[in-house]
Amino acid sequence: MLLFRSEEEIRQWCGQAGENYGEVLALAKVWDLAQLWYRPRMAPAYRGRTTQEAEQIFSQVGLVSSFWKF
Amino acid sequence: MTEAIELTDQDWRIRLFIYQFFVDNERPPSIQETAGQFSLSENSALEAYRRLNQRHQIFLAPETGQILMAHPLSALPTLYRVAVNGRNLWANCAWDSLGIPAMLDADVEIEARHPLSDEVIHYAVKNRELVGPPHRVHFALPARRWYDDLVHT
Repeated sequence: MLLFRSEEEIRQWCGQAGENYGEVLALAKVWDLAQLWYRPRMAPAYRGRTTQEAEQIFSQVGLVSSFWKF
Repeated sequence: MTEAIELTDQDWRIRLFIYQFFVDNERPPSIQETAGQFSLSENSALEAYRRLNQRHQIFLAPETGQILMAHPLSALPTLYRVAVNGRNLWANCAWDSLGIPAMLDADVEIEARHPLSDEVIHYAVKNRELVGPPHRVHFALPARRWYDDLVHT
């Protein structure tokens, strides 16, 4: 997951690197996602998560398309 | 997120030790360091590493068994350097660069490199608020393919 200034730059990158366009999120949305995804990661009680729990986190920030399904 | 491999309580304690060591020392522990911490043989420590790897809790170099990643942390330099509490940590990707302040609940300064121009981009998290440019993060692969090739992802 790489950081760019604009979607135009991402299209340029995909052309150069032969990458899929995939999906593009604003950095602010990625911060929202990172807080849900990573906050418990060093809690002593953390025991991983199921795919359903992971998809639930995506849906909490509005990521509900098939792209965000495991 | 794979659930086929059963981890023991000790495996989970080893996992937590790996993360804490990684944050404190800016690198993951070696197999020998983990074995010493838990009074295990190196072979037993390596077996625990491999179980954690199979459960996607850490990611190992296949040949050596050394830890390459414990998300969001990278053992190798990347495009994303995160300064936190007087230490410098490498994040695996742009998402993980924000995973470090989330995981540590700490203020950070992030120095990213632009993939096309190598230009330096600065952003930060202060008091749980993102401070930075309105940039975009590219997710090339759908979630179901993230574990096919993690270095690529």
